Amino acid sequence: MKCLECQNHTIMLRSVFWRAAVHNLRPRRTPACRLVSTCGGVPVALADAESIFALSSGHGRCGVAVVRASGPASATALRCMTGLRCNLPPPRKALLRSITDPRSKEVLDRGLVLWFPAPHSFTGEDSVEFHIHGGPAVITAVLHALGSVPGMRPAEAGEFTRRAFQAGKLGLTEVEGLGDLIHAETEAQRRQALRQMSGELGRLYRDWTHKVKRCLAHVEAFIDFSEDELIEDGVLDKVDKWVRDLQAEMERHLQDERRGERLRSGVQVVIAGATNAGKSSLLNTLCQRPAAIVSPIAGTTRDVVETALDIGGFPVLLSDTAGLRESLDLVEREGVRRARQRVEQADLTLVVVDCTHLPSDAKQIATFLQGHLSSVLPAQEQPETVFPEDRFLLVLNKTDLLPEGKRLKLDSELSSVSGLPPVCQISCNTNEGLEDFLAALHNSVKTLCGNPLSCAPTLTQARHRAHLQQCFAALAQYQRYRDIDLALAAEGVRLALVSLGRITGRVGAEEILDIIFKDFCIGK
Amino acid sequence: MLTKKPPALQSFLSLVSRRASHLARQRYDVIVVGGGHAGTEAAAAAARVGAKTLMVSQKIQTIGALSCNPSLGGVGKGQLVKEVDALDGLCGRAGDYAGIHFSILNRSKGPAVWGPRAQLDRQRYREFIQSELLSTPGLTVLEGSVEELLVSDPNPEESGQHRVTGIRLANEVHPISAASVVLTTGTFLSGSLFMGQTESPGGRIGDAPSSPGLSQTLRETLGLRVGRLRTGTPPRIVKESVDFSLAKIHPPDSHPTPFSFLNTRTHCKSEEQLPCYLTYTTPGVERVVRESLHLNCHIQQDTKGPRYCPSIESRVLRFPGRQHQVWLEPEGVTSDLLYPQGLSMTMPPDVQLRLIREIPALHRAEIHTPGYGVQYDFVCPTQLSPALQVKSTQGLFLAGQINGTTGYEEAAAQGLWAGVNAARLALSMPTVALSRTESYIGVLIDDLVSRGVTEPYRMFTSRAEYRTSLRPDNADLRLTLKGFEEVGCVSSSRYQEAVRVRDRLQDALTALQALALSTRNWRKRLPDVGMSEAKNTMLTGMEVLQYNDVSFETLASAFPEILSPHVEFSQRLKIEAVYRPHCHLQKKEIERIQKEENMSLPQDIDYFSLSVSLSQEVREILDKVRPTTLGAATRLQGITPAAIVHLFNYVRHTGQKGKRALRHKNNQMEARRAELSAKNAS
Repeated sequence: MKCLECQNHTIMLRSVFWRAAVHNLRPRRTPACRLVSTCGGVPVALADAESIFALSSGHGRCGVAVVRASGPASATALRCMTGLRCNLPPPRKALLRSITDPRSKEVLDRGLVLWFPAPHSFTGEDSVEFHIHGGPAVITAVLHALGSVPGMRPAEAGEFTRRAFQAGKLGLTEVEGLGDLIHAETEAQRRQALRQMSGELGRLYRDWTHKVKRCLAHVEAFIDFSEDELIEDGVLDKVDKWVRDLQAEMERHLQDERRGERLRSGVQVVIAGATNAGKSSLLNTLCQRPAAIVSPIAGTTRDVVETALDIGGFPVLLSDTAGLRESLDLVEREGVRRARQRVEQADLTLVVVDCTHLPSDAKQIATFLQGHLSSVLPAQEQPETVFPEDRFLLVLNKTDLLPEGKRLKLDSELSSVSGLPPVCQISCNTNEGLEDFLAALHNSVKTLCGNPLSCAPTLTQARHRAHLQQCFAALAQYQRYRDIDLALAAEGVRLALVSLGRITGRVGAEEILDIIFKDFCIGK
Repeated sequence: MLTKKPPALQSFLSLVSRRASHLARQRYDVIVVGGGHAGTEAAAAAARVGAKTLMVSQKIQTIGALSCNPSLGGVGKGQLVKEVDALDGLCGRAGDYAGIHFSILNRSKGPAVWGPRAQLDRQRYREFIQSELLSTPGLTVLEGSVEELLVSDPNPEESGQHRVTGIRLANEVHPISAASVVLTTGTFLSGSLFMGQTESPGGRIGDAPSSPGLSQTLRETLGLRVGRLRTGTPPRIVKESVDFSLAKIHPPDSHPTPFSFLNTRTHCKSEEQLPCYLTYTTPGVERVVRESLHLNCHIQQDTKGPRYCPSIESRVLRFPGRQHQVWLEPEGVTSDLLYPQGLSMTMPPDVQLRLIREIPALHRAEIHTPGYGVQYDFVCPTQLSPALQVKSTQGLFLAGQINGTTGYEEAAAQGLWAGVNAARLALSMPTVALSRTESYIGVLIDDLVSRGVTEPYRMFTSRAEYRTSLRPDNADLRLTLKGFEEVGCVSSSRYQEAVRVRDRLQDALTALQALALSTRNWRKRLPDVGMSEAKNTMLTGMEVLQYNDVSFETLASAFPEILSPHVEFSQRLKIEAVYRPHCHLQKKEIERIQKEENMSLPQDIDYFSLSVSLSQEVREILDKVRPTTLGAATRLQGITPAAIVHLFNYVRHTGQKGKRALRHKNNQMEARRAELSAKNAS
């Protein structure tokens, strides 16, 4: 039945009770966002606390995706995306609604919405869940729509759990696992960001950061030093121009519906190892076609060969890379550099080892494999003595070339070794051991897909977009206050830098001072 | 307070010249070593907190001396002066008494970055500080040179490897004991003076060098890491030899603004203020510098000097072919000297004279005292807690240049805070910290103890993340109330005044909020104001006050019955109205940070054996820096969010257990020691 008071909101059960609950008993919420007129008469949105959203279900073949939002703006988001104009649905009851984009009013999907008022929610804050269809287009559209709600921003890695933790919503055992969970999420997000930052987009963001840094350095120099020191006239005029140009550039970028590069979605699996270990053969075996050239000549593969695969229903982007070795050949050296870069960005690395190269002394096999792994691992992860289990799979190739006795010895030796990632033995030539390997691969990919962040570039993209929009708005504050109050104008540039820093890395006060001392002759 | 005449120096001296041997039988709560900006604030603050305090200075006459420039405040530094004053410190009131040229820098750039500044009369400044110290109850001043620190075994109940129990003076047999010792030795710790090619031990020209014993105790007995820094001072110039017609006169503000929240006017009358003069270097200056480089050993060394207060040598070498500013500043009402700011130099005196005469206004100038450079030891401040206590040594506090800072204001701020904590420790009260979200002092100390220094540290407004909230106008509301209620370093009369101001401001803001009119009505009442709102919306007085061309006085004249009682605070209300929406945005973040600041990490955690999942890299960083709070840990480079969660969890669940474990550990150590001594005996 319809709600009697607002006529547009369905009441599920015990209508009288709910009406009372919804309309009278609940204290009136202050809207999360109110308009405050400033001296220029331009309204500034004030969010009391930041609200966050994220996709909280995993990837792969799934019918339903769950998008979750938390914080004071959740109610606003629920209202303006479901057409529930004045009232919120009963707490914790599923309600079927059309989900629309609050700006374009376009219907994005039809799905279930659930409203969890504080404190009875996962995070202890007001929360909303949208259960929508699992296609990537729908998910992306809903995330973008949420991002346009004032006060909403994409969650940082682990933020939901952290809020739940801080609200005392997690039990002791859950808390124990929380650090690891956040670690996994930050790692996944870091890799995801690395992938995007290594491209054209990354270059653009870094360039902007550099420009905003320079703007800030000049404004700060003007504030901190201009009275006593020699700061050239017209410092601020320069900043005015830089800010104008930046804003124009950002506006063009934000309005560009092509959204820059095509995003590669799926679990990023990279095949790496020494030359002639059979990496390309493994790729060809996995995609069941000769996608890469194989030859007995070491260094055949020089560039990255990429193939999209479906492994047990999960999207996988498989890359074959050049064999890692020191080379004098310029082209090969570039190939090796790209290979290392891919490993760094990978969700999962298959380290291929030619098992005929294993030392004959069984005792030394573990040390050999560990050394081999270290040479493949990205340099900054070296101090970690333990190899992150879920990110590596050791593949011992060419088992068909080993004599039977040695193979048995290898089996027994490997079973007693610890401190190594999972090991598979395979022959790409005879397909021996392929089934076990596929099962192990499927298992790893499944684990990775359970993490919503690992294979969803759109999420990172949405996060970047939100930060860019914040940056853009903050630059407007500079212009608004330029002639009224320079401290508040500078605050705009600071906020712009903080927003960009969320994408490209934090910039500290000391770095700004360094630019000041480099660019100006300061001394009193 | 300003009208108070400083006592004759003679009676002062007689009071403090009591023999040290008398003092030796006494026990003090706090001993402050040094009588500069840090030392005087530390001694006064410790006494205000209620500690029985002794201040030891090498020379009574130089207590409160301005060793370098005759000025106080400026952009960033002025904020520190206001904050020290809000905590009932000395320098703000001393500045108001001794100032002879007041100006607010950055007047056109917004109240958050205004820089209150004054040129000072050196004589008056010293007189004021000395008379204040003399009239501070519970404070004794003693002339003497500290030979060494008394070091004993630590109190096992607390963390730390050593404990300082007092000092021993040179030429004295009996030590003087105290629960806390504050070292504020400035540039005297292994100080060397440089002029031309000569080098002599000392921290300031004309004063004896301090004993090498102190530096040795810090380095060898206490095992503190020290570094070396340098600074310098310009020659002083005879005023009547200067041709002022060739320099540009720079007048002070026509209405001097006092530093102190207690003062409504300055000692110096508006018309009695003295001007400064601005002049520039010439290519001749650069030539002299280059020609005399081989005679200048200070400049050839690679010890770090301040980038923002460089010597004339480094200025012309780093930015050649340019004109550099030189300010000619008065040294006092009766002084015959001028201070040429920007001309700090270390070449031989005859070359100094040649150099300054290359500047047109100084073409026949005479030098009274030549400039010189100083190199000195500083203790790497990452070894300090936010209370400015040495982490490894119970009862030892450091403040001022010894921590690697430069500037009177930075020294005063640290001195005050170290004095407060030294007193609290001695009186068995917990030490206290100021957050960087509430004060520039907090920013200063947090930067020092969590990041350390690579060059002399000076305050800038750009270092404060929450600059728009930490304004000079609201330092009293930020700190005076807390200073009385939680810290104990503020007198009750100052507190009463701050409470009155807070309540009156609140009343005025409430009145402004309640004054809600439609745009049309506002236009009627304030016809001269351009209201941009097209619609006929309701606006409060608070919102209208945000308009650029609306002052509180304008509003008060339109609504005299409601607002005229509040005109006393016109300026503060205007500032509050403009900044409030922005500060509101920062509030949430500040609250979050303060929550983390309130979670302290035990100082004796063994990060390497902590049974928490942390990477080796994170463990190494934590072990090296030993952050005192979770907030400080989050700001460290290389600490992951996961590590923070683990630490958070650890702190929350082991807060109680930790204390027990510590006692257990100490018992174990005790047992081991007994075992060892038994072995040795057999």
